[in-house]
Amino acid sequence: MTARLVLGAAVVGVALAPLVAPTYHVLLMLPFMAYAVVLLGLNLLFGYAGLLSFGHALFIGIGAYAGAFLTGPLKVRSLEVILLAAGGLGALVAAPVAALCVRYVKIYFGMLTLAFGMVFYTFVLKFYRLTGGDEGLPFLRPALLGWSLEAMPKTDYLVGPYYYYSLAVLSVAALCMWRIVHSPFGLCLKTIRDNPAKAESLGIDVTRYRWLAFMLSAVYAAVGGALLGPPTGNVDPTLLYWTHSGNIVFMTLLGGFASFFGPVLGAFVFIYLQNWVMSVVPYWRLVFGAILAAIVIFAPGGLMGLAARRRRPMRVSGA
Amino acid sequence: MITTRRYFVKLVGGAAVAAGAGLDAGPTRAQAAPVKLGVLAIRAGIAAPVGTAGLRGTEWWLERVNKAGGILGRPVQLVVEEESNPKDTVERYRKLVLQDKVEAVLGGISTGVTLALGPVAEDLGTPWLSWDGTTQKGVDETMPSPKWAFKSVDNEVEAIVAGILTPKYFKGIKTVAGIGNDYSYGHDCWESYQAVLKRYIPDVKFVLELFPKLGVTDFTAHIAAIQQAKPDLLMCSFWSGDATILMKQAAAVGLFKTMKGVFTTAGGVHDSLKKEFTPEGLLLGYNTMYFDDPNGSALLRQFVREYKAKYNEYPPYECDHAYFNAESYRAAVEKAAGGGTTWPSRAAVVKALEGIEVESLSGRRSWREDHVQMCNFYQGLTTHKNPYDFVTLSPLEVVSTRTAMKPAGAKLFDWINSWKI
Repeated sequence: MTARLVLGAAVVGVALAPLVAPTYHVLLMLPFMAYAVVLLGLNLLFGYAGLLSFGHALFIGIGAYAGAFLTGPLKVRSLEVILLAAGGLGALVAAPVAALCVRYVKIYFGMLTLAFGMVFYTFVLKFYRLTGGDEGLPFLRPALLGWSLEAMPKTDYLVGPYYYYSLAVLSVAALCMWRIVHSPFGLCLKTIRDNPAKAESLGIDVTRYRWLAFMLSAVYAAVGGALLGPPTGNVDPTLLYWTHSGNIVFMTLLGGFASFFGPVLGAFVFIYLQNWVMSVVPYWRLVFGAILAAIVIFAPGGLMGLAARRRRPMRVSGA
Repeated sequence: MITTRRYFVKLVGGAAVAAGAGLDAGPTRAQAAPVKLGVLAIRAGIAAPVGTAGLRGTEWWLERVNKAGGILGRPVQLVVEEESNPKDTVERYRKLVLQDKVEAVLGGISTGVTLALGPVAEDLGTPWLSWDGTTQKGVDETMPSPKWAFKSVDNEVEAIVAGILTPKYFKGIKTVAGIGNDYSYGHDCWESYQAVLKRYIPDVKFVLELFPKLGVTDFTAHIAAIQQAKPDLLMCSFWSGDATILMKQAAAVGLFKTMKGVFTTAGGVHDSLKKEFTPEGLLLGYNTMYFDDPNGSALLRQFVREYKAKYNEYPPYECDHAYFNAESYRAAVEKAAGGGTTWPSRAAVVKALEGIEVESLSGRRSWREDHVQMCNFYQGLTTHKNPYDFVTLSPLEVVSTRTAMKPAGAKLFDWINSWKI
C-alpha cells in the first residue's frame, strides 16, 4: 500500500513538475525519462534474466541515430514513426548480437556485449560521410502526434509538449514491462537467473528466453535513445561509447536492480546528483567512482534495497 | 490571451522586479550587483590542458577587469562548468543560462560539442562566445547567420597557413605524406592542406595518409610506414601530447634527417617540444598566439611573465582565444551602453559585438559580421637558438585570417581554387 502511495505521489510529482519546478530542472527530467525507458529494458536482462550487459549504449545510439536520420535526410518528423523505427532497428541489430551473446553468461556475456558496443561505436566514428563521424548528426525537432510545433521556442517545446510526450512513453513502457515481468515469461526469466539448469530441466528453452529478454531490452534502449536526441538536438558517437554503457549500469546499481522501479530511481538520482556534483567539484568522476564503490560494498541492493531494509529490518536480519 | 507557463512566470517576475525596484533597489545598487559570466571548459581527458589554458586566460582577464572596476561598475563573477560530451555540455549550458542566470557564456572547444551548442544558444537568447569551437560540419558552415552564437576561426585555417608557407620554406617538394588524428579535424586539415599545396605545386604527389586514433601513444608502425613511403615532407596536424610523442619516436629513428616536417598545430603543446628530440627547421604552427613574439605587445609580455610565474609554464594559444572572447564581451557591453552606466540588453550587446575589434594578447582581434573570429596565425621554422629547453620559431610568419580563412558564405575548396597564384 505504501509503495503504491509513493508511486502515485511520484507520478503526480513528475506530471506537475513543469508547472511548479524551475525550467532547468524540468529540462533535466527529459534525460531522466529517456534513461528510465532504457533502464526498464536493461533491468529485464540484468535484474530478471541475470545477464549484465556492458554494451547497451549500442542500442541507445541506434535509437538516437535512427531519429537523426529520419528527421534529417529522410525528412520524417513524426516522433511516433521515429520511436517505432528506433525500436525496430534496435531489434534488427539485436537479433544477431543477442543470438551470439546469450550463448554465454557472466563475464563472457558482459565482454561480448562490450565488444559489440565498441564495434558499432567504431563504425559510427569511422563512417564519417554516413554518420557525421565525431561531429555526429543533428536530430531535428520531431512532430508530436501530428503537430509540428516548429514555431514554438525550443525550450517551451521541451518543457511542455515534449515533456508530457516523454512521460506518456515512459508510462506505457513501464506498464508493458510490468506486464512482462509478471507474466509467465518474466517468471521463467527469474527461474533461469536463479537456476538455469533447473529451468532447462523444467522444459524452459533457456537460450531462447535469454534471447527474447535481450531483444526486448534492446528495443527499450533504442526507444529511450530516440527520446534522448531532441533535447540535445544532436547525436554523436559518445552515445555509443562504453562509458555510456557503464553509466546506465551505474544507474541500475544505484537504484537497485532487484526492484522493478529501482533502476528508474537510479536514473533520477544519477542525473540530479551528477548535475550537482559537476558544478561543485571538478573531479566529479572521482566522487561518482567512490559512490559506486560504496554502493557495491555497503548497499548492493541500491537505494531501493536500503529503503526495503529500513522498512523490514526484522525480515532482512532474519533471512 | 497567452497563458503559457513562461508568460505567467515573466508576468510574475516582472511584477516582482517592478515591486523590488519601487521598494529599495535604486539604480546605483542594481549597477553594483555582480555580473555573472558562464564558462565552459574541458577539464578531463586529452583536451584538458587546452581547456585549462582557456580557463586561465579567462581568469587572468577577470582579475584585470575587476581590478579596473568591473564592467560598467559591476564586478564580474565566473560560473565555471565542464565541457564534456555534447549531451552533458548542452545541459551545462542550459544550467548556466536558466539556473545561474549568466549574462553570457564563454567557452567551447570541441566542434562536436559546439555544433550542438550553437542552436541551443540561439534558442536561449544569450550571447555565446566560443573559444575554439565552430559550427562547421567538416569545412562547411551550418549556421551562416547566427544571432547569439559567436564562433572561433574555421578549423582548417592553420592547415591552409601551413600550405601557403610550405612552398616558401621547402623548395623542391615532390612527395608528401600526411598524419592526423582520426576525426573530422585531422581529415579536414589534411584535405585543406592538400588543396592549398596543389595550387602552389601542381605536380605534388600525396603518397601516404595515416589517421591514428586520438590519444594513441605508439607511432612506431606509422613511422615505419612513413619511412617506407619516403616522402619529401611529412605534414602532421596533431595538436595534443601525441605531437610530442610522435616527435620523440621520430627522432629515435632520425625521421627528419631524410624529410622535411610540417606540424600545423603542435604549438599547442610547444613547451613539451624539447630541443633534445625536436629538430630545427620544421614548420611549426602556434595557432593564434605566439608567446615569444618579438613584436608582441606589452600586454602579451605581461601575460607570459605572470603565467610563467604562476603556473611555471609558457602559455599556449587557447589563453588568447579565451582572453579575446571575454575582452570583446566587455568592450561590447561598454559600446552598447553608449558611454552611460545602464546595463544594455543582451540583444544590444550582441549587436555591438558584430565587427568589434579589441586588443587581445596576440594583438588586435575582431569579430566578423557573421560572428567568426578574425585574428593572426603564427607559424615559422623551429630553432634551438633561444634561452628555453624547447624549440621556438625563427623566422616567424604572421598570416591573417583575412588571407587564410574563407570569406563568409564561401565554399572552402571553390575559394582555394579561385586564388590567383
